[in-house]
Amino acid sequence: MSTPVVQTDDAGTAGTAPVLELRDVAVHFGGVKAVDGISLQLEPGRIYGIIGPNGSGKSTLIAGITRLTGLTRGELLLDGQPVHDVAPSRLAGRGVARTFQTVRLLADLTVRANVQIGADARADGGRSRRGPTGWLRPGATSPAVADAIARTRLEGFEDHYPAELSYGTQRRVEIARAIAMGPRLLLLDEPTAGMNQTERAEISALMRSMRTGGLCQLLVEHDVQMMIDTCDYVFAMNSGRLIAQGAPAEVVRDPAVQEAYLGRKWREHADGD
Amino acid sequence: MSDFFNANLVLVQSTLTGLLLALSIQVPLRMGVFSFAGAGSYGIGAYATGILVLRYEMDALPAIALTALGTAVIGLLLGALISRLGGLYLAMATVAFDLIISVIAINGGELTGASTGLFGIITDFTTGQMFVLTVAVLALVAMSEVGRLGRRVDTVRDDPELAASMGINVRRYRLAAFVVSGALGGLAGGMNVLVRSTVGPLDIGFGLIVLALTMIIVGGSRSWKGALIGAVIFTWLPDLLTVIGEWQELVYGVIVAVAAIFLPRGIYGVLQDGTRWVQRVRRDRRAAARGGPVVDADGGLRPQEDEAAVLVAQAAEQPVRELDQLSGRTQGAP
Amino acid sequence: MQDLVSVVTLGSVYLLFALGMSITWGTIDILNFAHGSVFMFSAFSASLVLERLTLGLVPVLLIGVVVGALMSVLIQVVAFEQIIKRARDRRTAEMQILIGGIGVAIIPLAIAQHHTQSNPFGLNASSFTVESISLGGLRITNIQVLTVLLALALWAAAAVWLRRSRQGLALRAIGVDAQTAALMGVDRRRLALVTMAVAGGMAGLSGVLFTFSLGAITPESGDTLLVKAFACIILGGVGSMLGVAFGAYLLAAAEVVILTQTNGSWVEAVSFGLIFLVLLVRPAGVFGRKEVRRT
Repeated sequence: MSTPVVQTDDAGTAGTAPVLELRDVAVHFGGVKAVDGISLQLEPGRIYGIIGPNGSGKSTLIAGITRLTGLTRGELLLDGQPVHDVAPSRLAGRGVARTFQTVRLLADLTVRANVQIGADARADGGRSRRGPTGWLRPGATSPAVADAIARTRLEGFEDHYPAELSYGTQRRVEIARAIAMGPRLLLLDEPTAGMNQTERAEISALMRSMRTGGLCQLLVEHDVQMMIDTCDYVFAMNSGRLIAQGAPAEVVRDPAVQEAYLGRKWREHADGD
Repeated sequence: MSDFFNANLVLVQSTLTGLLLALSIQVPLRMGVFSFAGAGSYGIGAYATGILVLRYEMDALPAIALTALGTAVIGLLLGALISRLGGLYLAMATVAFDLIISVIAINGGELTGASTGLFGIITDFTTGQMFVLTVAVLALVAMSEVGRLGRRVDTVRDDPELAASMGINVRRYRLAAFVVSGALGGLAGGMNVLVRSTVGPLDIGFGLIVLALTMIIVGGSRSWKGALIGAVIFTWLPDLLTVIGEWQELVYGVIVAVAAIFLPRGIYGVLQDGTRWVQRVRRDRRAAARGGPVVDADGGLRPQEDEAAVLVAQAAEQPVRELDQLSGRTQGAP
Repeated sequence: MQDLVSVVTLGSVYLLFALGMSITWGTIDILNFAHGSVFMFSAFSASLVLERLTLGLVPVLLIGVVVGALMSVLIQVVAFEQIIKRARDRRTAEMQILIGGIGVAIIPLAIAQHHTQSNPFGLNASSFTVESISLGGLRITNIQVLTVLLALALWAAAAVWLRRSRQGLALRAIGVDAQTAALMGVDRRRLALVTMAVAGGMAGLSGVLFTFSLGAITPESGDTLLVKAFACIILGGVGSMLGVAFGAYLLAAAEVVILTQTNGSWVEAVSFGLIFLVLLVRPAGVFGRKEVRRT
């Protein structure tokens, strides 16, 4: 687990220039302002979190960043280059990978082949060396896939089909597929839903271990403890806007966040603790 | 062998054209493009080759090559027009395209021979050439089912949004489906008219869609092997079914209906499930010997921690989860 | 003016046939490709009965309605329900239903073709005779008048049914959002069966009326009508009652114009061309409310 999984061509820039910048981004559906004027910067080598109640616009924001949803207004800059007019399929080649809120594995492919789909995206963008991964013999595993499988602790499951796996394991395959893309920006949409505490801790450790390669990660998660354990910086959303940001522990204690995100009941619970 | 071959020449030829026709609809289906335009391309291909040979006195191979190129271009134009439509709308637009081709054939006057069609399209085209062409095309189609291209096609079909996130240009793949479908259909029609020496409006039309679909449904929609199985069955079955005699059509219909309902992946799908089952049993035996994860009787995986994960997954459906966590209550079964 | 009579009567046949398809597609998401087969086989069944019994107009119409409804329900139970049960998601279910419909449709077609040797069959054995009426210089047959009246009455009834009744509300809820409908306690299975029965009954009715008015039809005539009905639905917009009527009469008008202006062999291309045109220009149809799903 010691070798950095993420290959970055420009690890030297880590820490300064933002990987992703959002300027006044909005996504409206008719009259519904799902995302309404969000500006933020994500730097390499850090883990960011987004919290907010259901319907606060977290997933729409991810969809907007990955270009699956069009922006109503605003700018999206990847490494300082505007990408808000780029086709979604071009983003993968530029180092953006994501997992989905629901498990989206191909039922007719094995775990290895599913993860290989992620590695397939590598050779395209020309960001990493062009390898012979397109024509693997059955049973063979390319280095990127083997690495992603090792990191998500899926060894022994390579030849299984998704339907044979538990929900938590399927989610790990999702993450492995995204890692296999060798991204510089990784968006994780509730990656640990359906996992137990041990698995969550593992994913949290995995995410933190990947920071060393300069990978920037954005985590959408309901599990507040997971947020506190994992993230360097947290944004809180409500009704499509940012209502607070900062260190995770501070944001969680912010009265506005507690009011909007968790409601009065939560505060009573928390006070009682 | 060669006696058998000669005695059944017509059936062998029909199997080859049937296979290509089936592929012209299967290839787009495999990419999630519900297009029947292959049948229309078959019609265009049959008439185009016929006209090139009859009116322009071209040789067989150049005529076929030109035809396939032409139908591929028509496929591209059609795709550019309608590939943005979804599901059933796309399907019906392509059905309309096929039927318009039939109407044009009837109204083509001297060029298409109107309702009588074209006759006496005689060239030096041999069944051997036909066989070689078909195998070559089959090899190309088979290549699109393995390796990276195969995985990408699977992804585009099963989950276009995921495909886009994985760097796959979905629109380009959908357009390619139309082009390949056009070329395959045109080739099938062209070769058929060369070995039959005639084509008429009744040879193209809605019946072609039904024929190609039945081959794919019964044989299998996910692989060229399925199309091959289907083409063989439905070319030779009517001959064998003469035993059943007059109820042949009915038996044919029942087979198709049953396959469509109960075997959505066709005979090849059943074979594939069988091999997969064998692979799984072998794999688990190996794994058990090594002490790795084991699949139990109901097919569900039960490595050490995963049972708890299922419980958590169920609990995750409960909206109170976050509150429970923060208030220090243990989470788990509700 | 005589042409107007042709448009109205032809349009009414299209309407009666397309109405059932439109309702099942717009509400329970079933584009039934066996609808043409149901249409043909109901008329065929009536002609079989007439080989043995001499019946008047009303019993023959009833045979058509009952056979159509029964066939439709049978297809729903034996084919479509099974497909929906096994399908992974809505998209694959849609395609499987289309293909399954094409497969199932072969069976009644094969039976009818076998029995008639693919020759046209008619309902001449009925005690009811088609007569021409002259209305202010216009010739119209009694069966044409009946077709127009029944088409409009059933269309209005279906529209009211969909708009007003509890069942209609439930159906429209399904058309809008299956999950919401389930939450509202709508029994999808029963509603789907009722809808299919109504649609099948209309197909059967139109089959008998059409056969009466033409004198005879071939077993294959269901297929052509299927594509035309699709054109009507697409023209007006899926799920719109106003739309399907608009589509039916517009298609009939276009065909009659082509028929009178040319030698007639291009008529078949009209519906196909219209489908193409509308899908390109206005995919949701003239009265469509739902956006066409893309991808």
